[in-house]
Amino acid sequence: MKIKYFAWIKDITNKEFEIIARNHPKNIEELKIVLKKNYPDLEKHLDQDVLRFAINLEYTFENQNLNSNDEIAIFPPVSGG
Amino acid sequence: MIKIQKKDFNIEQEIKLLKDKYSNVGAVISFIGFVRDINNKKDVKYIELEVYEKMAIKELSKIKDNAVKKFDLVDCLIVHRYGRLDVNDRIVLVVCFSEHRNNSFEACKFIMDYLKKDVPFWKKEIYFKGSDWLENTN
Repeated sequence: MKIKYFAWIKDITNKEFEIIARNHPKNIEELKIVLKKNYPDLEKHLDQDVLRFAINLEYTFENQNLNSNDEIAIFPPVSGG
Repeated sequence: MIKIQKKDFNIEQEIKLLKDKYSNVGAVISFIGFVRDINNKKDVKYIELEVYEKMAIKELSKIKDNAVKKFDLVDCLIVHRYGRLDVNDRIVLVVCFSEHRNNSFEACKFIMDYLKKDVPFWKKEIYFKGSDWLENTN
């Protein structure tokens, strides 16, 4: 499972992506728990529900299940244009 | 056509490239977004635009397809830049081609509204003192 981070999320994780090879989270809620544990500074943003999640390039708005070969992206609200 | 690129674009060339393909196009409407020198009362030195390119292409393609269908466009072009952009640099180009003008006027707004809401680009403004990540509000 590949987790990608963008914009100021990267400033908190200090990495653009990471691979979870074993015991990967089974769904988005489990992933949030892992993120809070590994990156305490993300907790308030996750709790405020401001971050957006995409699984395999598609937005997800619910607690979708995750598979070992998924690419998950975590990012703040967008600001293009 | 969707393009995500670092380099600048030439508006006239981009429009000609598509317009030359169609004789039924009576209206071409374009929107161009630029880097401003002042934002939130701060002097902007330059911006860094980050993109999740694979997803941005997918999201832009969806928006374009929806716009073509909804507004009966003949064709549509979206070019969005990323990387370092200085004040006065062009950021984005949207060009809509239709038989009649109203379709393209409305489609341009529709595309920009969804682009600013859903397409994974992020702007970091660098000021003479400090920097801020931006968030689109509308």
